[in-house]
Parts: sequence; structure tokens; C-alpha cells
Amino acid sequence: MRWIRALSARVEETAETLGGKALGLVVLHRLGLPVPAGFAITTECCRAFLRDGRLPEGLDEELVTAVADLERSTGRAFGGPHRPLAVSVRSGASVSMPGMMNTILNLGLTAEATEGLAAETDDRPFALSSRLSFLTSFASATTNADAASAALAERPGRQAENEEASLIQSIEAVENLVLRRSGRPVPDDATHQLTQAVEAVFSSWDAPRARTYREVNGIPHDLGTAVIVQRMVFGNRDGHSGTGVAFSRDPNTGENVPFGEVLFGHQGEEVVSGRSMTRPLRELAEREPDVWAGLLDALRRIEEHYRDACYVEFTFQSGELWLLQVRPGRFVGGAAVRVATELVGQRLIGREEALLRVSPLHLRHVRTPRIASAGEADVLARGIGACPGVATGRIATTADGAVRMARTDPVVLVRPETSPNDMHGLAAATGIVTARGGPASHAAVVARAMGKPAVVGVAGLVVDHDGASVTAAGRTLPEGTLITIDGTSGDVALGSPRVVTDAADEHVHRLLAWADDVSGDHSARDETQRLEAAHRALRDR
Amino acid sequence: MTWPEARATDTGLLVLHALRCAGTISLARLHAITGLDASDAESELIDLGADGLVTRLPGDIPGWSLTDAGRAADAERITHELESARARERVTAAYERFLVLNPELLDLCTAWQLRPVDGVVSVNDHGDPDYDARVLARFADLDRRATEVCAELSAALPRFGRYRVRLTEALERAAAGQLEYVADSTASYHIVWAELHEDLLATLGLRR
Repeated sequence: MRWIRALSARVEETAETLGGKALGLVVLHRLGLPVPAGFAITTECCRAFLRDGRLPEGLDEELVTAVADLERSTGRAFGGPHRPLAVSVRSGASVSMPGMMNTILNLGLTAEATEGLAAETDDRPFALSSRLSFLTSFASATTNADAASAALAERPGRQAENEEASLIQSIEAVENLVLRRSGRPVPDDATHQLTQAVEAVFSSWDAPRARTYREVNGIPHDLGTAVIVQRMVFGNRDGHSGTGVAFSRDPNTGENVPFGEVLFGHQGEEVVSGRSMTRPLRELAEREPDVWAGLLDALRRIEEHYRDACYVEFTFQSGELWLLQVRPGRFVGGAAVRVATELVGQRLIGREEALLRVSPLHLRHVRTPRIASAGEADVLARGIGACPGVATGRIATTADGAVRMARTDPVVLVRPETSPNDMHGLAAATGIVTARGGPASHAAVVARAMGKPAVVGVAGLVVDHDGASVTAAGRTLPEGTLITIDGTSGDVALGSPRVVTDAADEHVHRLLAWADDVSGDHSARDETQRLEAAHRALRDR
Repeated sequence: MTWPEARATDTGLLVLHALRCAGTISLARLHAITGLDASDAESELIDLGADGLVTRLPGDIPGWSLTDAGRAADAERITHELESARARERVTAAYERFLVLNPELLDLCTAWQLRPVDGVVSVNDHGDPDYDARVLARFADLDRRATEVCAELSAALPRFGRYRVRLTEALERAAAGQLEYVADSTASYHIVWAELHEDLLATLGLRR
């Protein structure tokens, strides 16, 4: 085939043609790890689409063939009324552009196929909720609208009496949104859904936001993205299903223990979006020991392949583990130093490679103050570190409260999210925590402008400003409670745990001793100079 | 289709609504936000204070803010203004277009503050003029697209016209080398943009 490659261990092409994500899936195949069957549409096809404004000649036929192969290998029918096949459609460029492009889940769940899935699983709410995820992701990809907000914000829980009725209502709301915003209904034909989804992913390469990202980061505009189509695995299938992300080592410290988050009973996008209640990865060990064992084995084999820490996205359906994405860990700061030196200890890399993997910038980040260790501190919740540094202060739940309290004591302002109405509170606080929002949220941008440690997107954190308290992980803390936040790791801890600036000292010393051996210069200089001298010596060889 | 000619918002409501969208602010900022001269703005504040709608907070930086009654009064008056201009549909449409631009603006502010170097996201020390110029060029591009949204808004309700003036000023100052006008100063592009966002939510009676 000209435009499509089935994903298997035998694929020979480079990231330039297949994109980084598809290439990662090929690696997983080669390692014999479980990957849902699928195929990639090449970046060349994307370039043709962007040039001509339409999908190239011949792609339609190739899609039919590729889908037929998937139907055969899965024993399912795409959009069919019995044993329906649903697929995910994801972007995957040769360079990472996080969050810039579209993903569509559960594609192929037409109204009829949804009933087929309901009959097959004897679980109509599951089928309806899967169809709703399809429609929401399809709407976001094709209309530029935030479709999630069109669905009912408050979903009744599973087994609730009105669960089905509420899902049906949300499905109609999203269908209406698509009709209103794009002037045409969501196609109720699986093949047309797939074509439109492929076009939407290709088009998203040229969305202004993606262009801006490339412009700012010096990425060429003419690379294009690949599209990955895979058989869907359902993290929302039953009580033994879920989804998660995992690092083979702790990205905050570099310590050799798996680290990540898991979301039981949900599908992939929800864990990445940070909108839902995720649990620490280790809970998987207790609840799904077989999945956990499979994951540990996979992380070990992937590490040996990359000879580096790694990151995976995974889903488990009815107790069966599937890997959906993989890449090297790309750790920074002290974590990068620790991983590089420990990999030498494990004989996975040599000393020279360890030196080359650590940039002088990592060394500068090593000295950022950190909460001593998550084990020692009483960590209340974890979000996304948005501005590095540690802040200790008393909880204020309103901007006015922060200003008032800050007259006597340092204050950490804790808000659901921030708006201009909170500016005086942000100015008065020594640190900032928000329950919602990501690293580019209003709170994050303002915190960095003011140089204040900040943690954003703390899922599960509830701020009750009327009751003047915050609740996380089942614990309710009144306003005025002393907390400490770490703007690197995103940890929010109770009280004032020990703070260190030398967390990775031992590893830094070991690495720099190797650096001096390589450069032959053992004089007293600052750490960055010692590493740079070693880099120069290695490059000149 | 014709709409009733949208009238200028009365100065009392302008002041009230500025506090609603910008939080606790000084007289100088109130002047910058509304364009009213300082003595007019102050006399409005005193009248609104007498009605119990605004209050002056003491402290190192004295500022004015809404009382709960002021917040309720603003919501009522601003909704009334929207409905009598029959502008809800147009403002809603503009808001939806604003929401498409909003994530990009926040990306740009982040790119202005943080920069990946050797895979490490570091504080942008503004030591690389080429990088800053690239980011500012994208701000200018985004701003051109925002112009259409601003024009739709001020056609619907003239008071929205102040945002165009303030965004332009922030961008011009940033381009002239006053880098704090991107995301740091209270008159920066990011702050003005965030106030516009808050204004749209308040005007349409929506929550974030």
C-alpha cells in the first residue's frame, strides 16, 4: 500500500514517515508486548492532504483494505450490528507537540453498533457512555468546540437509576452541538466517520495553535503528522478495567521505582486531561496484581531497549493489559543525573554516555529547593508543578482572605482556578494551588510572572470557600492550616516538611568525578564548568 | 437584520463592571481600564460606595472592590444592558470564537516565560532576542485574529471597545522593548486578555 502501513514488528520505516507514536508502537511489537492491532497513515499522506486540500487518490481503497484486515484479525465488524469494531484515531508527528492535535476514541460506534455493543456486553450504559466519548472527541476534533461541556457536567454514577436517560440526553446534546457548529450531522456510518476523523487530524496540523507551537519551538511546518488507527480497548469496560500512565522511574527524583497514575473504570483521554480522579499507580498492585506484574515486566523490557527510563500509556480491559504509547522518559534536573548514573551502575550505558545525557542545564535545576522526600512528608495531594520552588504557608481559600491573612503570616492561596478577581490574592500569597487547569492556565502564567511556587490541576481537590476549607483524599482542612507545596513535583504536603536543595548530591558528585576523569582537569570549578569541559573533551575525540 | 443602536454604557455601570472584571483595583487602574478620567471615576466610586455597592480596602496598596450587593447589582445591570441591546446572540458567538483563541494565548504566555533548552524547560531569561521575536510575532498574529472578535463585541456593546485599545497598547509597548507588557504588568497583554475573558463570562452570566 502506498499511504498505509500495518503496525507490526516488521515495519522498517523511520519516524519521519510514520511519526514518533507509531514508531513507539513498532518497538512494543518487536519487544513482544501487547499492543492493540492497528495501522498508520503516513506523514506523506498528510503532506499531500495539506497541499491539495483533500485526501489523496487511492487512500479510500487502502482504508477499506486496512479496516478489513483489522476486522479479520479481531473477528469484529466495523460499524456492524454484531460484535462491532471500534477504533481510536490519533495523531502522531515525528516531533512531539503535546496537546496540540486531535484524538478520537471509540470511532465506529454508530447508533446501530452501539446497540450491538450493548447486546454483546449486556451493559447498555457502558455502550452508551462509549458512544458519548466518541461523539465528544469527534465534536472537539471537527468543530473546534469544547464538546465536553455540552454533555451533562454531572453524570449520575454507574448503576444509578437515571444513568441511561442521562447518557442519552448528553449524546443528543453533543450531536446537536456538532450540527449547530459545523452545519452537518455526525455521520452515522463508520467509514465516513473514519474519513472525517483522518481529515480532522491532518487539518489539526495546520491549526493556528499548532502553527504557533512550531513557530516558537523552531519546528518546520512541512513535516506533517501521521495518523494511527487502532482497535479500541475499553478502560471503561468493567470493574477490572481502567487506564493510566507510568514512568519506569520517579521523574521527580530519578529513584528506580515505577511512578504514575491510574484511573479505574475510565478511558484514555480522561487521565491525560487531568479532569478526573486519578489514583497513584501503586494502587494497581493491590487491585489488579496481574496487570501490575505485566506492566512491571513491560517497563523493564522497554528500559533495556531504550537503555533509559521510559514512559508508557496503558489501558487494561477486563484484567488484560494493553500498551498504547511509549517513549523515553526525558527526565530533567536531579532526576536526569540520578538516572544517568544509576544506568551506569546497571551496565546499561557507559560513563561517557551518562555524561552526554546530562545537559549543564540539568545541573542548574538540581539546586531548586524541593520537599525532602514524598515518603517522609505527609503528602495530601499531587498536581502539576507549574512554577518551581517550595512555599510554606497557611491555607487561604479566597483572594480577600489571602490579603487579610498575609498581614500576619505567609499564605498559600488555594482556589478551584484563578481569574482576574484573584489578582490581589495571588500578589499577597507566597504560593498558589489550583484544583483545575494545566501548565498554561491563568494561575500558572501569573505565578511565573510573580516568581511564586505553584501547583495546578490537583484533581480531586475541592475548595469550599463558603465553608472556608479544602478537601482532598478524604481529608478536610480548615482555612489557616499550614501546608507546603513543591512547584516542581506538584506535591501538596501537610505542615512544613524538610526542604532540601541537594536531593541528588550523591549522584551529582559521582557524575562530576567521571567528568573530571574525562576532561583530565581536577581543579576546583563550578559544577556546570566541570560538565562542559567533559562534553568538550568527548566531542573533540 | 437590524439591531437597536447600542448605546454607551453609563459611567456608574462602567466603574462597577470594571471592578467585577478586574477584582480589587486602584484608582489609577480604574482609569486605565475604563478610560474615565480619574476625578470622574473617583466621584462614581464615592456614589457607588454610598449605595453600598463598592468598598475601599485599606492597606499598603489601597484598592476598591465590589461588595456582595455590588456584585449582584452588576450582574443585574449588565444582563439588562445585554438584553436591551438584544446582543446576547452576538456576544455568545464572539465568546465562542474567543474560546478558540484562548488556549493559544495561554500557550504563548507560557512560551514567553518558559523555554525548552536541551529538553529542559527553563525560565526564559530573555537573553535570546531571536526567540523573543518569534514569540512576539505569534502574539501579533494572534492579535490580528483577536481583532475580529473585538470588533464583533464592540459592535454589539460599545464598552467592549476598551479591550482593543488596551490590547494594542500592551503589544506596542512589548514590541518597543518593555517586556513586562507581555505577561507581568497589570496592563500586560495577558492581564487585559484575562479581564476580557472574565467580562465575557460575567456579561453572559456563565461560570468558568
